[in-house]
Amino acid sequence: MRTRLAVVAGLMAIPFSTFAQPRLPDGHPDLQGTYDLATLTPLERPAGTKAVLTPEEAAKLEKDAAGQRAKSNEAISGDRSAPPKGGDGSTGPAGGVGGYNNFWLDPGSRYTVVDGQIRASIIVDPPDGRAPPLNAAARKRMLALLARPTSDAQESRDVGLEPAGSYDNPEQRPLGERCLLGFGSTSGPPALPDYFYNNLHQIVQTRDSVMILTEMVHDARIVRMNAEHLPKTIRRWMGDSVGHWEGDTLVVDTTNFNDQTRFRGSTENLHVVERFSRIDAKTLLYRFTVEDPATWDRPWSGEYAWPATNEPIYEYACHEANYALEDILRGARTREAEAAEKTRK
Amino acid sequence: MKVLVSITALCLALALPLAAHHAFGGEFDPDRPILLKGKVVKVEWVNPHTWIHVEVTKPDGAKEVWMIEGGSPNSLLRHGVTRDSLPLGTEIVVDGYQARDHSLRRANGRNLTYPDGRKLLLGSSAPEAQNDPDPPKQK
Repeated sequence: MRTRLAVVAGLMAIPFSTFAQPRLPDGHPDLQGTYDLATLTPLERPAGTKAVLTPEEAAKLEKDAAGQRAKSNEAISGDRSAPPKGGDGSTGPAGGVGGYNNFWLDPGSRYTVVDGQIRASIIVDPPDGRAPPLNAAARKRMLALLARPTSDAQESRDVGLEPAGSYDNPEQRPLGERCLLGFGSTSGPPALPDYFYNNLHQIVQTRDSVMILTEMVHDARIVRMNAEHLPKTIRRWMGDSVGHWEGDTLVVDTTNFNDQTRFRGSTENLHVVERFSRIDAKTLLYRFTVEDPATWDRPWSGEYAWPATNEPIYEYACHEANYALEDILRGARTREAEAAEKTRK
Repeated sequence: MKVLVSITALCLALALPLAAHHAFGGEFDPDRPILLKGKVVKVEWVNPHTWIHVEVTKPDGAKEVWMIEGGSPNSLLRHGVTRDSLPLGTEIVVDGYQARDHSLRRANGRNLTYPDGRKLLLGSSAPEAQNDPDPPKQK
């Protein structure tokens, strides 16, 4: 009886699937391909909502998103006036001047499905679907570093809210704005959707290495298989990633971040564990756990599906025309000159 | 009537989500709104942001070229946009704000449309260019 129960439990633990796991000659799953991480599922669950959406709820939200997109693409008057002096009232990234049209964007149109559930958030632990609050040490650190935006900081805030010194030199600008790392932890780890565009990632796999290419800003991370971590003195933008197989799951362990990446305010001691496996022949399951006791009082985890795509991934060449960084710094110098002129008068 | 249409268009524009990626508020001056009508003379399909160069004719007849910042071209390419989708010579209308450094003739493309108000680059080609019996060639 006990044996039968164990067998039944074992069968239940194996997800039902009909696909043949593609494998490389070494016998491990072949996870290679290009994947589009775009999804409507946010990282954190909106307050007061459930963890899993019903098909009807998801269909409505997806229809609403498509409707908003269609509306934003509608024609406006060709005979329009200039926008209002003093700013158009837009907030956040658009910084009062409005940004650019939605037709540039490719933010995803569907909610992610994991274990047959339509998920309302990528974060699954804590169970409320929200990252744990920054602990006291992290809050103190963040205040001290407010003038140094993190790699995953919103790339812009209203000018009036930017802390003093934010525009003093290129080093003070966010890593994405400087073309050093993808915006919003697209490169990871953990690799998150951008909710904007350029969500493609490519995996290339050999026996000894796995390469994860992020289209946004063109970040390539090399995972060394069955290797030890580098000495703690060697620090990298995306950390040092080593991998191993647990059954048919690729487990990637990353430490040795530098002190500027700072995922959501973390320290260089951030530790990320990622798990890549197949849901089916055309979809990967991506799971991650992050921990940094100097930032959060508990580890936290997320998961979402990576659907394969036949679309090509393009090079980024981000520095090639980064006129924006020049304009931003020139803008700051202009404002300083104007302020000095006022003082002189 | 024209005023009414403009106000309606403005309200519509305000109601619709507009996106930005880096510090647009640091780059562009909310006190320098611009409206440009002119022809495309160069397109830089580059990252992190596309720049569309537009030649406008000022009231005194002098011509000047403005650079307009858009989004990343990568997603557009996947949606079928090509280098020929916005041929040189295409007449466009741009509203946005000038760079904070006013010595730069640069602005954000808050709204990029054809003269009839349709947004640029939706679909894989520019209908005007197809209808033009003698479309300007890409250099």
